[in-house]
Amino acid sequence: MAQRARPGKSPAVWGTVTVLLVVAILGTLLVPIYARTLPELGNFPFFYWFQLIWVPTTAVLCWICYLLLKTKPAPDAGLRNGGDVRR
Amino acid sequence: MSHLNAVSTLMVAGSFLIVTLIGFASARWRPAEDLLQLNEWGLGGRGFGTFVSWFLLGGDIYTAYTFIAVPALVYATGAAGFYALSYTIMVFPIVFIFAPRLWSVARAHGYVTPGEFVRGRKGSQGLGLAVAATGILATMPYIALQLVGIESVLTVMGIGSTSGNVFVRDLPLIIAFAVVAGYTYMAGLRAPALIAFVKDILIYVTVIVAILYIPSRIGGWGHIFGAASAHLKTVNPATHKPYGSIVVLPAGEWAYATLALGSALALFVYPHASTGVFAAKRRDVIRRNAAMLPAYTLVLGLIALFGYMARAVPAVNAGVKADGNNPQLSVPLLFAHMFPSWFAGIGYSAIVVGALVPAAIMSIAAANLFTRTIYKELLKPDATPAQETRVARVASLVMKIGALGFALELNKTFSINLQLLGGIWILQTFPAIVISLYTRWFHRSALIFGWAVGMAYGTVQAYRTSGGGQAHFGASAAPVFGHITYIGISALILNVAVAAVLTVIFNRVGVTDGYDQTRPADYRADPVPVPAAANATTRVPFNRRRPGPSAGRAGAPAGGSASSPPWERADSAVADSAADRAADAPAAPAAPAPAAAPGTVPGPRSPAAPSGHHRAKHAR
Repeated sequence: MAQRARPGKSPAVWGTVTVLLVVAILGTLLVPIYARTLPELGNFPFFYWFQLIWVPTTAVLCWICYLLLKTKPAPDAGLRNGGDVRR
Repeated sequence: MSHLNAVSTLMVAGSFLIVTLIGFASARWRPAEDLLQLNEWGLGGRGFGTFVSWFLLGGDIYTAYTFIAVPALVYATGAAGFYALSYTIMVFPIVFIFAPRLWSVARAHGYVTPGEFVRGRKGSQGLGLAVAATGILATMPYIALQLVGIESVLTVMGIGSTSGNVFVRDLPLIIAFAVVAGYTYMAGLRAPALIAFVKDILIYVTVIVAILYIPSRIGGWGHIFGAASAHLKTVNPATHKPYGSIVVLPAGEWAYATLALGSALALFVYPHASTGVFAAKRRDVIRRNAAMLPAYTLVLGLIALFGYMARAVPAVNAGVKADGNNPQLSVPLLFAHMFPSWFAGIGYSAIVVGALVPAAIMSIAAANLFTRTIYKELLKPDATPAQETRVARVASLVMKIGALGFALELNKTFSINLQLLGGIWILQTFPAIVISLYTRWFHRSALIFGWAVGMAYGTVQAYRTSGGGQAHFGASAAPVFGHITYIGISALILNVAVAAVLTVIFNRVGVTDGYDQTRPADYRADPVPVPAAANATTRVPFNRRRPGPSAGRAGAPAGGSASSPPWERADSAVADSAADRAADAPAAPAAPAPAAAPGTVPGPRSPAAPSGHHRAKHAR
C-alpha cells in the first residue's frame, strides 16, 4: 500500500501519544479532582478555574501529539511518485 | 422588552442581510468543476484546509442552542451546567483519536456519510440504514432547537411576540429559515463554511467584551459568584431541595462525568460532525484542528459564566420570571440590560447567525445520509451523481421544513425532550461506527440487536425519568445501581454487551457475517492534495498507481460521472482487474458492472483501495 501515513512511527511515539491523550481526557473526567471551592484564583472557585485552565492544557497536549504523529508532506511523496504526477 | 428596540433590531437585520449575501455568493467560492457531485454540494469538494475547517467545525460544535442552553442551565442549576465545558474539553482528544481513521477510510472509498462506512465495513444494508435513520432522527430536533435559540433572542427583542396572530408572530423565524434553506440549497456546505467566519467574529467580539465589561459593572467576580451561590442555596419550594450548588456535590459527580463523556462520544457520531470531518482536505487538518478547536471551548466556558452574571442582575431575574420562569432568556436579557442597544444588537446577531450555521450543516449532513444510505441504497441504486445531488438538495429543504414544523407546531418542551432523546439515540450508533473503525470482530446482526436494545432502553429510561416539573423526559440522567448516570452511557454499555454476547453466539451457530469492503491500510490512507492550480481541474487524492496526470479524464466525455474525482469514479468505474476480482471472490461474487457509468473509462483507481472491494459495494 502506498502508505504515506506514518512510515514507521515507533511504538514509543504511539505510547507517548496515548498517555498524553488519556491524561487530557481524564483531567476533566475525574470530577473529584476538581469538585472543590478552594483554592480560589481571582475570586474564581477552584472548580471553575481548574476547568478553564484545562482547556489550553488539552490544546497543548493535542498539539504535541499532532507534532509527534505529523508526517512529512510533499517531498517524499514526490519521490515515491516517481514524478508521474504533476505536482 | 415588549417594545421593539429599533437600534438592536437594525443591527440584527443588517447582519442577517450580510450573512444572506455571503451565503448566496458562496456558491461561487472555490468554484467546483461540477457542483452536481454530491462531494461538492455535500462536502464542499472535500477541500477545506486547516483554517476553513476550524471555522466549520467550530460552527458545528458550538451551536446557538449551546449559547442559550448552557448558560440557562448554569443560571438555573449552577455547577451541574458546567458539564458542557468538561464535555467540550474531552471531545478533542477523542476526535484526535478516532476522526483521522474515519476520514481516511471515507476518503479512500468516497463515503460521504458514516452510514455508508458502516454499510461498507459490516456489509450490512440494515445496519447502514439503522445508522442513517438514527442520524436523521437525532438531527431533526437539533435543528429545531437552533430555532428555539433564535426565538429567545426575538422574544427579548420584542419582535413578533406581541402579536396574537400565530403567523405574524412566527413570520421572522419563517423568513430566516426560508433564506437559510435557499442558500443551503444553492451552495451546499460552502455556505455555512463561509458564514461561520461572520458568526465567529460576532461571537468572539461579544464574548470578549461581555467578559471584560459586565463584571466591572455589576461588582466583580466575587459578587457574581456570591450572588449565584446565595441563590443556589435557597430551597426550591417545588422540590424542597436547594436549586443547585456552586460546586458539583459528591452525589452529582458521577452524573457530571458520564454526561460529559457521553456527550463527547455522541458528538463525534452526530452526522454534522462527521460532515465537518469529511470535508477536510488532509488527514493532518483534523489533528491540527483538535489542538486548535479548544479556543471555542474557552469561549463556551466564558459563555457558561454568563449564567452566573445574569443571576447577579436583578432586572434579568425579573425578566426571566415575567416570562414564565424561562431561563433560556437569561443571556439575551443580560445583553439587553448590560449593553447599549447597538452592542446588544451585535450580541443578538451572534446568537442568530450562530443558529444559522449549524442548522445549515445539520440539514446538509442529514440530506447526505438520506441520499447515500436510503435513496441510493434502497430506492435508486443506479442514481447518477447529478441525481444524487438533486435529491440531497431537496432532502435538505425537507429537513428544514420538518425542523420548522417541530419548532412552530410542537411546544418547546417537546423539542428539548426530543433533543435529549436524540443524544441518547445517536450514541447507540457508536459501536457500529467507532468500534468498527478498529475491529470487525462484532457480528453485523449482533450490532443491529445491540443498537435496537440500546435505543429501546434509552427511550424507555428517558421517558420514565421525571424532573424539572415534568413527569417524563425530565432529565437525561437516571440512577443505575445507585449512581445517577447519563442514560446514553448506560444504554451504550447495554448495547455493547448485547452485541458482544450475540457475536459469540452468532459465530458459534455460524450465522453469515457481512463482507468487509475496507482494508486495514484504508484507515491510514493519507491522500496527497494537489496544488491549487491543478486542483481546479483534477482532484487527485492518491498519487500511486496513477498512470498520468489526466489519463482518466482524457477519454472521458463531459458529464456527471466522467468529471467526478477519481476516488468517486473508482466506485462506479468498470475498472477492476481480474486480479482484483479474485481478491474478493468468496464473499463478494463479482457483480455485473453497474449501468450507471457509460462514459467512464477504465481509468485510475483509488490506490489506497487496491483490491476489488469496490465491487462488493456495487453489488448492491
